[in-house]
Amino acid sequence: MSITFEQVTKRYNAGPVVNDVSLRIGPGEFFVLLGPSGSGKSTLLRLAAGLTEVHHGRISLHGRDVTHVRARDRGVGLVFQHYALFRHMTVGQNVEFALRVRGVRRSARARRREELLQLVALEGYGNRMPDQLSGGQQQRVAVARALAHEPQVLLLDEPFGALDAKIRVELRETIREVQRRLGMTTILVTHDQEEAFSLADRIGIMHNGRLLETGRPESLYRHPATRFVATFLGAANLFLGERGPSGLRLGKRFIASGTSLRAVKGDPSGDHEVVTVVRPEDIEVSEHDEQLDSGALGAGQVLSVDFNGASERLRVQLEPEWDVTSAIGREHRAVGGTAPTGEQQIVDITRTSAEQARLALKPGLRVALGIRRFHLLPTPIASFRLLATAPATVAALRSSPLLRQLVESMQAPVLDAQDAPTGSEREGIQAGVGVIAAGSHSIGEIARAAAQGRRWLLCIPPRAALPARILIQCDYEAARSSTLRLVASVMRHLSAEATFVSLQSPAAPRAEATSAFRRLLDARAELQEIHGLDIRTDVHIGDPASWAAQLAVTAQPALVVLGVESTPSDLERILSSDFGALFSDVSTSVVLLSYTESQAQLAGVRLDTMSPLFPAQTPQGAAAAAPAAVPVLPGTPA
Amino acid sequence: MIDRIAQLPGLGRPQLPPLPMIRRQQIPEELGRATLLGVALLYLLVLVALPLVIVFVQAFAGGVRSYLAALLDPYALAAMRLTLLTAAIVVPMNLTFGIAAAWAIAKFEFRGKNMLITLIDVPFAVSPVISGLIYVLMFGAQGWLGPWLNEHNIRIIFAVPGIVLATTFVTFPFVARELIPLMQTQGNEEEETALSLGAGGWQTFWLVTLPKIRWGLLYGVLLCNARAMGEFGAVSVVSGHIRGQTNTLPLHIEIMHSDYNYVGAFATASILAMLALVTLVAKALLERRQPELRARAARQAV
Repeated sequence: MSITFEQVTKRYNAGPVVNDVSLRIGPGEFFVLLGPSGSGKSTLLRLAAGLTEVHHGRISLHGRDVTHVRARDRGVGLVFQHYALFRHMTVGQNVEFALRVRGVRRSARARRREELLQLVALEGYGNRMPDQLSGGQQQRVAVARALAHEPQVLLLDEPFGALDAKIRVELRETIREVQRRLGMTTILVTHDQEEAFSLADRIGIMHNGRLLETGRPESLYRHPATRFVATFLGAANLFLGERGPSGLRLGKRFIASGTSLRAVKGDPSGDHEVVTVVRPEDIEVSEHDEQLDSGALGAGQVLSVDFNGASERLRVQLEPEWDVTSAIGREHRAVGGTAPTGEQQIVDITRTSAEQARLALKPGLRVALGIRRFHLLPTPIASFRLLATAPATVAALRSSPLLRQLVESMQAPVLDAQDAPTGSEREGIQAGVGVIAAGSHSIGEIARAAAQGRRWLLCIPPRAALPARILIQCDYEAARSSTLRLVASVMRHLSAEATFVSLQSPAAPRAEATSAFRRLLDARAELQEIHGLDIRTDVHIGDPASWAAQLAVTAQPALVVLGVESTPSDLERILSSDFGALFSDVSTSVVLLSYTESQAQLAGVRLDTMSPLFPAQTPQGAAAAAPAAVPVLPGTPA
Repeated sequence: MIDRIAQLPGLGRPQLPPLPMIRRQQIPEELGRATLLGVALLYLLVLVALPLVIVFVQAFAGGVRSYLAALLDPYALAAMRLTLLTAAIVVPMNLTFGIAAAWAIAKFEFRGKNMLITLIDVPFAVSPVISGLIYVLMFGAQGWLGPWLNEHNIRIIFAVPGIVLATTFVTFPFVARELIPLMQTQGNEEEETALSLGAGGWQTFWLVTLPKIRWGLLYGVLLCNARAMGEFGAVSVVSGHIRGQTNTLPLHIEIMHSDYNYVGAFATASILAMLALVTLVAKALLERRQPELRARAARQAV
């Protein structure tokens, strides 16, 4: 591996800006770090260059640990957005700089200088001053300068940010060309997804200091794992769907039958609410249902038609009777300039010119919509459902910092107990994550909700602060996968550091301790392999009750994720005997419970990201289902 | 981005289009402008230009011969030598400390940074006489360190070291004050690039940072030098006015003036005035050379 980050963390006063990032970049790979501003992507690049010190973790370049190596000895080429050329030197002197400080002879320097200027198509410009060149030319000088000392890796920090559109595309081609010719491992930081798509071998998406997902551009686009990535990379319609016994349903319509869903993935996770991603180009439009070639979603009125040259963008308002709900919280939906539409679902569609020719559309027409292809997000957190009914409690829960942060970052909807049950709840499928207020009564409430089939419950004490750490405890083999799925989803959206805790009794026999360690490592490996996330591990010697008691009163509030497998009747007993303190009135820690009902046939089967149906239209290579990020395992030979 | 624009010639300050004027108001406005200009010029003439002219007129009142005689007086020569010596010690010292302080403030985040910035400004805020007194209180015969210095036969007050110390204190802010805003707006990217290209700390300083700040630095040094040669108050307190030994040019002028030796006083004063004029011309040339400094000077003038 050319560049390896292992659990790299960088903190400023406020908290981590780069949070437990693990990433491997192969030789000659062009890796693009994409993210909104403030997501930590530039900081990660500066860490790689040695301009900033890491607080935790390890960075290697070509197998050499450089975590504590100074910037000047790392042998990286660095290009900034504003070129950072030495203004008082000529172009030639700029390019030679790295050789000059190394004491290379003048003649050798001149040879290399001409070579590099030729590489970036600036022959004959050696005697000019930087100010006499255009922005694009200056950036090419910066690239040539960064290559002079034959660095092992090239780091580019928004190199096109200060250039206008046309020059940007030209320079992009130059850089890609140079990178290919030299076979140089490259990291480029940008917030421009078009740039990322056109340059990257692989893209990593950063948000709030976390590396959310990595993958090849097309696989990230087709199979995102989070709402954030689904909507950040291109446009997407996100619907709440239900996977019931009879298949995937959006609103009133079944999009795929249950047998085909199970046949495709063999998903054992049972029936639950899911987030369905449908790209605008995967929606079919026709006049009537019967004319649709794909699974029908519903019908609605065309709100607007925008012509964009190669394609056409439609906005269609679905009629309320189709009962389709957005998987994006109300407060996160783009209004798009039209009048407020209340709870009605607006669908974004793009059509090619061939489709336009078949059926011309004007605003106001009624059309039927079909879904050609979709993707289900692997997150178990499709929505949050407040189970409390007292208005004061509901208000307190809604304003709790943790829930607000989760909702803000995941863009998930929060539903009140009074809200109409979603279709799935009518079907007896428990939707989303139940949210209750902590207190002495909460264990009973949890047990009741679990008995009704609710599998994920968030229990928030009044006045709980935003957790500074996430602690995961799950000693049940059968509950692990679904717990980790929940953990992955939460981890991606909180900046807190996550630790998997193994509780071990001091009196336990050796064999039991060994198996506890195994479970710890298995959990970490599974999180890395399937979710591409890294986690810390810790062992607590003592019984669960003492651990819980300690956490309940800690000054450093935690989010405690408990994975429990039991029968509904046993759940109450387990929670109160082992973790009772966490649910007491004085506890400051938030509990997120992942409950798995004891069912022998479910044990130990691994969950996986769901892939689109309709295989006829989606060639499903192995890559499609492969985990997005390449995990880093300790002790794996590089 | 802003500072980048500011570096382009002619783009330092946004040029606002002239406000549309109504014709009727034009005549009173022009009149007002002429009046204001006239008052300002008259003021400058009476208070600044005229005294300068008088300095030179008085210096040559007794003819060129007595002018030269006054300048070649051994005491005058000693004062000149001491002034140049002081400047030669003080300016390089303040240059070094100024760069170091500006570097620390502009490039690093640390506790007490605002405290340091305030401390740098103290010499501006404190009256020079008090700065001189502080040294007397510290190093004088009755001062804190006086007995110890006396035992070891070290003379600071009423000697050259005292003069150098007082002058250093008074002129410390000039270089640092000039460099801090400059370095803050320039940022760190060039230095970081240089490091990544394999340059060491010193190489980065000499090859990248120093060229970046050279004009601002020169400007600060000029101001510092002018003040070092012209300082009166602080030096007056610590020097002891020993003719031929601890008299600098300003002190020498004052003594001659008290002795009713007007030709001598003005002749010596003309030397200082010349130095000031040369400094001003050099400053103007620098500002023409460096649009950024001009913009700053304009801002400070406002």
